[in-house]
Formats: sequence, structure tokens, C-alpha cells
Amino acid sequence: MTQPSDTPKTSGGSRSPVAANPVISAIIAILVLASIFFALWVPLYASATPKVGAFPFFYFYLLIYMPVLGVVMWIVITLQKRLRAGPSAGGAAAASDGEVAR
Amino acid sequence: MSHVNAVTFTIVVVLFLVVTLTGFAAARWRRAEDMLHLNEWGLGGRGFGTFVAWFLLGGDLYTAYTFIAVPAAVFGAGAVTGFFAVAYTIIVFPIALIFLPRLWSIARVHNYVTPADFIRGRYGSRALALAIAFTGILALMPYIALQLVGIQAVLTVMGVGTASANTFVKDLPLFIAFLVLAVFTYVSGLRAPALIAFVKDTLVYLMIIVAILYLPAKVGGWGHIFAAGQAHLKAISPVTHKPAGVFIPVSGNSQLAFSTLALGSALALMVYPHAVTGVLSTKRRDIIKRNMALLPIYSIMLAFIALLGYVAVADKTTAANVKKAGNAQLAVPYLFQHLFPSWFTGVAFSAIVIGALVPAAIMAIAAANLFTRNIFKEFFKPDASPRLETRVSQWVSLVVKAGALLFAIELPKTFSINLQLLGGIWIVQTFPSLVFGLFTRWFHRWALLAGWLAGMIFGTIAAYKVSTPTTSHWAGSVDTLFGHTYYIGLSALILNVAVSAVLTIVLRAAGVPAGADETLPQQYTADPVDTPAPAPAGIGMASQVRGGRADGGTA
Repeated sequence: MTQPSDTPKTSGGSRSPVAANPVISAIIAILVLASIFFALWVPLYASATPKVGAFPFFYFYLLIYMPVLGVVMWIVITLQKRLRAGPSAGGAAAASDGEVAR
Repeated sequence: MSHVNAVTFTIVVVLFLVVTLTGFAAARWRRAEDMLHLNEWGLGGRGFGTFVAWFLLGGDLYTAYTFIAVPAAVFGAGAVTGFFAVAYTIIVFPIALIFLPRLWSIARVHNYVTPADFIRGRYGSRALALAIAFTGILALMPYIALQLVGIQAVLTVMGVGTASANTFVKDLPLFIAFLVLAVFTYVSGLRAPALIAFVKDTLVYLMIIVAILYLPAKVGGWGHIFAAGQAHLKAISPVTHKPAGVFIPVSGNSQLAFSTLALGSALALMVYPHAVTGVLSTKRRDIIKRNMALLPIYSIMLAFIALLGYVAVADKTTAANVKKAGNAQLAVPYLFQHLFPSWFTGVAFSAIVIGALVPAAIMAIAAANLFTRNIFKEFFKPDASPRLETRVSQWVSLVVKAGALLFAIELPKTFSINLQLLGGIWIVQTFPSLVFGLFTRWFHRWALLAGWLAGMIFGTIAAYKVSTPTTSHWAGSVDTLFGHTYYIGLSALILNVAVSAVLTIVLRAAGVPAGADETLPQQYTADPVDTPAPAPAGIGMASQVRGGRADGGTA
């Protein structure tokens, strides 16, 4: 489902994708929350050093965060697709999730 | 008009004409059978794919605010009140990914055009829907005004119209730009900004890539730029007797201000009606998700644009010009004018002007839809035909723009970023009803209304009381409470949620009716891929789309 931290009850049906794939759901939730947290926790990067090129670390960190975020969001979306495909496509999709999920 | 550069001026005028023609031609783009339908005029037929949506949402979210106000704030005050915008545009995407797909699904199933339509259907409360619609219109005004302030900054630096002391003559070019915007929005609806966004982004990307490659070397490299920025922010202001700003937020208070501003603004951005309009205009659920991964590309640009504030500090002529004019908004236009050849200055200025027109058009459409659907139809003419709805929206879009013009001319513009933050304080008060409502019906409708009211009152008063030695009121949106400095929007939101939660418990215990809910759980994840957008039904009359057994009863 779209909302990683949501309870399964709102997605309806007896076998919600979230309940059926707890590991993938957890990974999605962690990735989404982490991408919020690491931008908001300023003490982590509010320093002038180490300088990267001429850029103070504070500015470099926020600049490099963007492309990283794009990639993380893409991973989340891909995982959500699997989550959605999982129960309806039956065992096949779940098996291909093997390395990630189990 | 004595110091107008002919080359720059000509290029701006020519590109403006191109955009104007595009705006009118847009009416024929993906032409609908019946343009007089709010799904068509107000949502572009609900048929935009990933590519168009990327431009449209990008044009929606990265505005004149990006090009003028953010670097101006970085120029004037540095990291906390300026560069926070970069952190804010980072977290907005993960946050949006949590709730926007659900909003898209439920809106598609029930044919909601505005966020307040959803509130009406979810809580069965006309009063709460009215509050949400009212807040949306109120918050969009300063945001549109901010776009006009951006255009004004460019015009001032170009030397157009500034020679006269007469307000009307002085702002005449602004009036013209504004009139053109108003007319093509009226004619083409959401198709106009969607099509113009292509032109806009081409110019903006050109501008920013050239600026990043060309300007730093011109003023002595990034090392020198950061050093100049740091020195400038450390300097003690003779008026406030405090340092001008913060280069790197190391103190606890500046860090708290930085993250609360970022978080509060991010929560606000995606509940703005114009963002919702952009989202609802897309064809499929996946398209929104994909865009949450693609839009951060824009944010990289934003980060560099923000840094232009320091580049402007490092360039002595620009810094002196800005100081002389006493308006930090002019930092980027002056910088371009001083360092670019005049033809490229023309291109860059056009990018900023057009970059203001696109979001202003979408915002006006969003505000107009809110008025039509949730005020006019709901309270004055429940049997309004789709045709009448569209006509009303078209006219209201004009009125909204006129209101914004008033905002732009009347309010102090030293830091136009505060205009947007003021709107942000208001709009974020709709977050609990809208976003919590997408996940749970636990909150009581009257409790949400009371929470909203508390947040609005607290936020407005707190913002009014913020003063600096140079401005007596509305001087900012960061306040100090219990010894901590933070964004008023966020503290007002916390109050809002607290009031909503407590009153929900009270009202539930008292057995006050919770109102009918016309939505069903599975509709929040519905993805009617190949179903064309249904004709707009009346609010409360759910249409049937895959899996959507609608129980159309509303209180």
C-alpha cells in the first residue's frame, strides 16, 4: 500500500498486502522515515568541516541529498509495486521477492 | 524608463509574447468535447501523463519564490530562514508519497475536484468543508502575490516603470503581465500553465546551468563565495545590533528554527489547493508516485539557485546595488544583469517572469475551483450545471488575481518569503482534516473544525506579533516560545491537533453525531487505470468506479 506506517485495516479485504509482506512493508517504512529524518536532524550535518571541494559540509550534504533522495524514492516505489503485485499475482511474485523479503 | 537595456528588454518582450500565444493555443491542446466542464477547465481533463505532470507539478512547486525569494533570504539572512528551503524541498517528497496517492484514488473514485470536496464527502460536514475551502483561498492569495513580487523585482532591475512616482504608472508593466495571465487562464484553464510549463522549464534549466557554470568563476570561485557569505552574515547590523544571519546553524535554537521551518513548510506544500489540483490532473495513480522520485531533480536546481544568494554577496557591484535599493529581492536580478551579457540577461529574466506566471495561473484556478465547488454550489446554487460551475470558476479566477495584486502592492515586500510563510501557517491548519482524514475517521468533524479555528487564530496572532527593529508587524514567521525558536506554522499545527484530539474524545463520549462518510476503505487505494474520468457528479453523489460501491448518503 502507499502508506508504509498505516495500519492494514484501512486497505480493506482480509489479506492486505501490508500484512502479507511485513518485511517489504517495514523496509518501505524505514526508507521513507529515514529520508525525512536525515534531512531534519540538523546537528548531524551542521558543520563547516569536512569541506568537500570549496563547499562547507552543511551545504554539500544538502546538495548531495537530492540525487540520493531521488534514488531512494524510486526504490520505495518499486517495492510498493511488488507489495501490490504480491497477493494478487500469487506465489510467483512473492517468490521473486525472495532475496529482499526473506 | 531611462536605463532600459534595449537588447534585454526586447528579448523579454518577445519571449513573453511567445508564452502569451502558447497560453491561448493551449485551449486547443488535447481538446475536449466540452471545455465548459470543471474537469476540463479546472483539471485539464484529468489526463496528464508522467511527462506533463512532471512539468506541471514542477511549475507548480518551484515558483518565483524559488528564483527570487529564496536567494534573497540567503543573501540577507543565510542558512536558517533561507537555505532551510532546500531541506524543505527534500522532505516534501517522502511526506507526499505517504498520502498523495490515497488522495488521488479517492478523488478519482468520487470525482472530487478540490480538497474541500473530499472533506465534504468524508466527514459529511458542510461547515468543515467551508473552513477548508476558505483557508485554501486565503492562503493562495499571498502565494499568488509572491509571484507578482517576483515579476516586480525583475521589472525594477530592468528599469521598466520605476522612473515614475505614481503607483499606477510604476506598476503598469505588472498590470499588463497580470492581465495577460488573467485572460489566458480564463480561456484555456489548466491546459495553459501545463503547456507554458514546457517553455518555462526549458528557459529555467538553461538559466540555472549557465549561471552555475559561468557565475562562480566570474566572482572568484566557490571558496571565495562561501567566505564572502560567511563574512557578510557575521557582520553586525547597525540597526538590530545582531549578526545579519547564520551561515551554518550550530546553536540549538537556529537548528530548531531550521528544521521546524523545513517540516512545517513541507507539510503545508502538498495540502495547498494548487498542489492538489496538479495531482488530480494526472491520469493514473502511478504517475504521482513516479513524480515523487523525479521531482527531486528540480530540488537540486533549487539548492543551486539558493546559493546564488551568496554569489550575489561575493559580487561587490551586485551587493552594492542591492544595498542602495534596500531590497534583497533584487539580488538575483542585479547579479544576472551585472555579470551576464545583456541578451542572456533577457533570457534569464524571461525565465523568472514566466516562472511566476505558471504557478500563479494554477493557483488562481485552484482558488476558483474551491470557491465554485465548495461555496457557490454548496451554499448558493446546489443545482448548478457543470457549465455554470465552469463559468463561475473562470470569473472567480479573475477576482482572485485582482486580490493577489492588492496583496502584492499593499504588503511590505522586504522579505516576500514571509508572505508565503504566512500562507503556509494558514494552509497547514487544513492538514489534520485532509491528511489524517485520508487514513482514519477517528477524528470528529466538529473537533477538527475547532482545532482548525484554534490553529488559525493562534498562528495569525503569533505572526502578527513578530517584529524587528525595522518592521513592526508580520516581520517573520519564526517565534520564540518557552525559550525555543521555531516556526509558528508548526506550533499552531500542534495546537490544532491537540484541540482536535481532546475534543474528539469529548464529542464521542457525548455521542454527538459524527456525520455520514461516503467513502469506502478500498477506494483509497483504487486505481481505475483505463477508466476515463467520469463526468463531475454533484458533491455527495459518488460515481461508480472499480470496486467503489458508493453509499451516496450524506448528512
